Amino acid sequence: MSDAMSHFLALTPMADVTLYHYLVVSAAMFALGLVGFVSRRNMIVMFLCTELMFQGAGLAMIAFGRRWMDHNGEVFVIFVLTIAAAEAALALALVVLLYRKKHSLDTEAWAQLRG
Amino acid sequence: MLTALILIPLFGALLVALAPVRFARLLSTVVTLAALVVSVVAAFRFNWSYPGSVSFQQSYTLVEQLGVRLSVGADSVSLLLILLTALLGPLCVVGSYTAITTRVRNYYAWLLVLQAAVTGVFAAQDLMLFYVFFEFTLIPLYVLISLYGSTNRRRAATKFFLYTFTGSVIALAGLVYVAYVGYERNLGWSWSIAELQSAAASMTRREQAWVMLAMLAGFAVKVPLFPVHTWLPLAHTEAPTAGSVVLAGVLLKLGTYAFYKFVLPFTPLAVMQYAPAIAVLAIIGIIYTGLICWAQNDVKKLVAYSSVSHLGFCVLGLFAVNMVGISGSILYMLNHGLSTGALFFCIGMLYERYHTRSMDEMGGLSTKMPVFAFFLVFFTMASVGLPGLNGFVSEFMCLLGAFQSGADGPGGVAFGSLGPWFAAVAATGMIVAAMYLLYMVGRVLFGPLREPAGHHEHEKLPTDLSWREIGVLTPIAVLCLVLGLYPKPVLQSLEEPVAMVIDEIRTVNQRAITEAEQAMLADPTQPQTPVVLATETTP
Amino acid sequence: MAGIIANLMSGLAPTLATAHGAAGHAVTNGAHEAAAAHAATPFEFITPDAGPGFALLILALPLLASVLCGVYAALGIKGKFPAWSTVVLLAGSFVATLMAAGTVFQSNAPLIVHGFDWISLKWGNVPGQSLTANFSLFLDQLTVLWMLFVTGLATLIALYASEYMAGDRGYARFFGFFALFVFMMSCLVMGDSLVLLYLGWEGVGLCSYLLIGFLYKKPSAVAAAKKAFIVNRIGDLGLALGLMLAFTQFGSLEYKEIFRQVAELQAGVAHGHEVPWSIRAIPLLLMVGAFGKSAQLPLYVWLPDAMEGPTPVSALIHAATMVTAGVYLIARFLPVFELNPAALNTVAWIGCLTAFFAATIGMATYDIKRVMAYSTVSQLGYMFLGLGVLSSAGAGNHVVTHAFFKATLFLACGAVMHGFAGQLDLRRLSGLWHMKGWKIVSASMLVGCLCLAGFPLSAGFFSKDMIIAESFVTEGFGGSLLGLLALLTAGLTAYYTFRVFFRVFVGPVEYHAGDEHHGDDAHDDGHGFHPHAPGWAINTVLVTLSAFALAASIPYLIMWFGASHDGWITGLVSHSTAKASNITVGVDHTATFLGANPHFIMYFVSGGIGIVGILVAWLLHFRGRTEAATSPGAEEAARAVGPILTWATNKWYVDEFYDFLLRKPLWFLAHVFYFIDALLVDGIVNLFGWMPRAIGGSLRPSQNGFLQSYAVGMTGGLALLLVIVWIVG
Repeated sequence: MSDAMSHFLALTPMADVTLYHYLVVSAAMFALGLVGFVSRRNMIVMFLCTELMFQGAGLAMIAFGRRWMDHNGEVFVIFVLTIAAAEAALALALVVLLYRKKHSLDTEAWAQLRG
Repeated sequence: MLTALILIPLFGALLVALAPVRFARLLSTVVTLAALVVSVVAAFRFNWSYPGSVSFQQSYTLVEQLGVRLSVGADSVSLLLILLTALLGPLCVVGSYTAITTRVRNYYAWLLVLQAAVTGVFAAQDLMLFYVFFEFTLIPLYVLISLYGSTNRRRAATKFFLYTFTGSVIALAGLVYVAYVGYERNLGWSWSIAELQSAAASMTRREQAWVMLAMLAGFAVKVPLFPVHTWLPLAHTEAPTAGSVVLAGVLLKLGTYAFYKFVLPFTPLAVMQYAPAIAVLAIIGIIYTGLICWAQNDVKKLVAYSSVSHLGFCVLGLFAVNMVGISGSILYMLNHGLSTGALFFCIGMLYERYHTRSMDEMGGLSTKMPVFAFFLVFFTMASVGLPGLNGFVSEFMCLLGAFQSGADGPGGVAFGSLGPWFAAVAATGMIVAAMYLLYMVGRVLFGPLREPAGHHEHEKLPTDLSWREIGVLTPIAVLCLVLGLYPKPVLQSLEEPVAMVIDEIRTVNQRAITEAEQAMLADPTQPQTPVVLATETTP
Repeated sequence: MAGIIANLMSGLAPTLATAHGAAGHAVTNGAHEAAAAHAATPFEFITPDAGPGFALLILALPLLASVLCGVYAALGIKGKFPAWSTVVLLAGSFVATLMAAGTVFQSNAPLIVHGFDWISLKWGNVPGQSLTANFSLFLDQLTVLWMLFVTGLATLIALYASEYMAGDRGYARFFGFFALFVFMMSCLVMGDSLVLLYLGWEGVGLCSYLLIGFLYKKPSAVAAAKKAFIVNRIGDLGLALGLMLAFTQFGSLEYKEIFRQVAELQAGVAHGHEVPWSIRAIPLLLMVGAFGKSAQLPLYVWLPDAMEGPTPVSALIHAATMVTAGVYLIARFLPVFELNPAALNTVAWIGCLTAFFAATIGMATYDIKRVMAYSTVSQLGYMFLGLGVLSSAGAGNHVVTHAFFKATLFLACGAVMHGFAGQLDLRRLSGLWHMKGWKIVSASMLVGCLCLAGFPLSAGFFSKDMIIAESFVTEGFGGSLLGLLALLTAGLTAYYTFRVFFRVFVGPVEYHAGDEHHGDDAHDDGHGFHPHAPGWAINTVLVTLSAFALAASIPYLIMWFGASHDGWITGLVSHSTAKASNITVGVDHTATFLGANPHFIMYFVSGGIGIVGILVAWLLHFRGRTEAATSPGAEEAARAVGPILTWATNKWYVDEFYDFLLRKPLWFLAHVFYFIDALLVDGIVNLFGWMPRAIGGSLRPSQNGFLQSYAVGMTGGLALLLVIVWIVG
């Protein structure tokens, strides 16, 4: 970590749990989600992984909002959550449909886009 | 007036598309006739005493920040071409009555859209508007060819579209550059053709050369100039009759019209410098494609190739850059539209009866179809350039323009950078034209009667031409004769606009020479790039 | 009518009286007079006056006739309406020509009759800053001379055709084209600018095309028509370029302006000024056009084939009128030609060689109509020789006499063809003189043959001698070689002419029908073939024409017996632009031929040679002949000359040579180009079209359809971006 960054982080009002900590957690969540998404083949698990990445990003936004004493971050996260919920409904419905077609949740079963 | 001319066929197309099928023919005929009437009224109201100034101007701002305006207007050159378009409209519609039996509404609607687009190109006084219409013509024709053409239509339509489109995109780059130069000079965006002229002419010689090259890429494909002509025979052969007629009659003229409207006034220095090179391409086209015509067995392809050959004369005349040449060239646009359009009609009529375009399968038809034979011979002769018919005057003037271009004539008026040799070589094209067209006439009309195997009479059409078909061909024939015997009004109306273009080119070139001389005097040590003395170049 | 003729005569009298000093030939007074005739005075330009409007009728009436025939054809009117209306209107045109002639003779200046403006473009007020070509007529003596025999012969031949073409399906079509031809020929001759001349020039070419191919079901006729048009177009190329050069140099295409400047140039030459090469090139280009239209070497090949057309067409277009257009062109522009002696020299030599060359083919051809065709080529060669040696008067005389006797010959041949179902082979016809109903035909044939052979005191004899004699005295043309060759050709002409006469018209009676059964009446009535003797219309025309051909020599006879002028034709020619000024080419007044003045001695020499030719024909083709197919003399002669005869019969293989040298290579080239176009030019385009597809194809495997690999790609891309930001930032 560079000096500039530590200086910047040291100025935060929350001396104990700094923005830095939040960002580390959010980055970890995001990375875990990403790794899961890339490595797993089960569509539902992959979907869950995307949710994890989502929440990682959301966490970062709330942390930044808190840092700047600004509600935009929270507003945005709530907005995203709403959308994500709707999206989850759609996505799970699609997954069910796909499962009905091939009786498998493996993504490799669906490679029609191959050029 | 001109807006109406664009909107009538456009709304007509909408109407035709929405109305019941049984009205399609009638409606489109009425719409095109209405457009014809409006155009004739426009011709009467045109200010013929000042044919060089733009009449019927109308203008609406479209994109203010970019200075794009919907601005239309016409000088005599534009008006003549609009008249040609309006004339061919009803003829195409009436000529398609029996040829098109499926998806009729669609067909006529697109035909009308095509007419609107072409009229728009000729009427546009704004560069952007011009370009939009220029590209828009592709869509209706693409649909017409790919839906109503013959066996190989898909390929032909795609090739036609991609080829011409690729070319025009490059041309767009050139045009935008000109507008950008104008923006820098005038500190504001403007796409008005008139305003851009002076700005464009102030470009350096090198800039002009590049801009001209870009514009050539787009417009030469459209003309088409050798060696970018290969889409044309394919598109013509596969297109339905009316498509071919519009294609040969007016769409090819978009290219030469753009040459006249943009290339000549925008890049005067480059034009004088590179005219010989372009003329060489035109001459190669004249002879090369002329000979190819002779090797054809497909009668429609023969006429298609002959278009390439003929438009070579047109380009030659334009790049002679003198009064006789350019006026002849503009007249050639009209004449070629009439005579080649008519030839395509004739061949379409033949195709409807025999369902073949192969000359091996038919011959001696003048016994069975004397009226058809009369018209075919008539239009062939117009196309060969027989004096007394329209083709002669313009072909002769194009050649004469090229011949005297760059020569010191009496009055010292000959301007341009071609010369007698260009005309001499190009004139052999007249022999070649006689060879292939008489070859065609001889095979189709004369000799013992030969018909395709299993031919039986068309159930709707008579053996010889029907009155409807005669009605389609007669107006063109009359115009061919009138323009052949009394081209004077047309030529006189061209005097002013052409003189304006030539004055512009002459002034810019002379200025460039003077500047170069002054630079040489001011700094004799500086090595000078050789200056092409435009008025003195003789090849 | 009487008034017109009186008018004509009164006008003609001064013309004749003043013709004395003109270029021509003076016989009785010998070299002294000839010297006076050839004084070199530059061409003098006379500003034209406005002419009478009725002269436009000369053009309008044939055009009207043509349109009427078109209407008849469109309405499907049967009967002889087309013929009668055409004959009447053409006769009207002839009368108008006579009236115009009267006006012209009374005027000192050429007359310009303005019709309407045709091509007109103007871009400045300086001369040369406009392009003007009007439908206007230029009337001077030369025009009148040509128009008199054009409209006169056209009327007579239309009358002939009314019978000849009877029963043909395209009766109205024929007369429509025929009248159109007369209109176009009038434009050619009477136009006041080179462009109108060009219009007529191409127009007569078109009519010739349409009429040669009149029997369009016959492939040979179609091929001949096409050949005529295309070969003519090659010549027209020269004319067109000459026209453009003239415009570039003179700044105008109107005769009045061109001749005004030419007069200045000639005056300059008289003062020792050089003529720039760009002006000297004009005649060289113009004459190419003349060679094409008048069937001279090397462009003569179309004319013999043109005999596929109906005989009246051959008589009018391909013997009397259209083919003399080249002669007219050069005669009209003689002042321009005189600016370049090399051009005159070329014209003379081409003419002379053509005359000789065509005569050799004529000697070995069996088709009598084609013999006449080759003789036309040959006689046209004489006219060009005459122009080349500046005997424009001789050329003019020969044009007129030739028009009449050749029309007679053709129409007689046509009568034979008509009567014997298309039979024209001289080996299959004999002794027509002795058959019932063929006397008039045979007699007119004899008249024509005598004129063509240059039998002493016939019209052809005088006009031909003028040219031959002049070629001995004009300087700078290869000495007397031209004259000697022309004399030799005169002998050959007499031989082949009488070869036809002795084989076909005299001797034992024998005939075989041809394979054409045209006309309304069946020749074959089940008992074999009956010849079909000509009716009144054909006979009337033949008698009239023979009378004209005979009468044409009367002016010369008057001259022969001591009158001081050179005949009315010479008078007309020397009052027009065709008058030779001898500004660049001198005349050797002391030249002698066989020790005497060529103008005088030539009568005896050429007359003698003509008689020798006739005697040879008599020996070879008449003496001892018992059948139509051959004669003992001809057999013997054929053995003597050996393969030369075969070559000559095969026209020296010129057609084959052209085919091999021009048509085949071009045909081949056309196909090569077609393949190049399809493979190379279009191939490159398709290559460009293929390139995006190829690039896309090479990237295609990356699109493997697995969700994870896309995710990896995205992650990788994101990581890459971060790294870049890290490094840069």
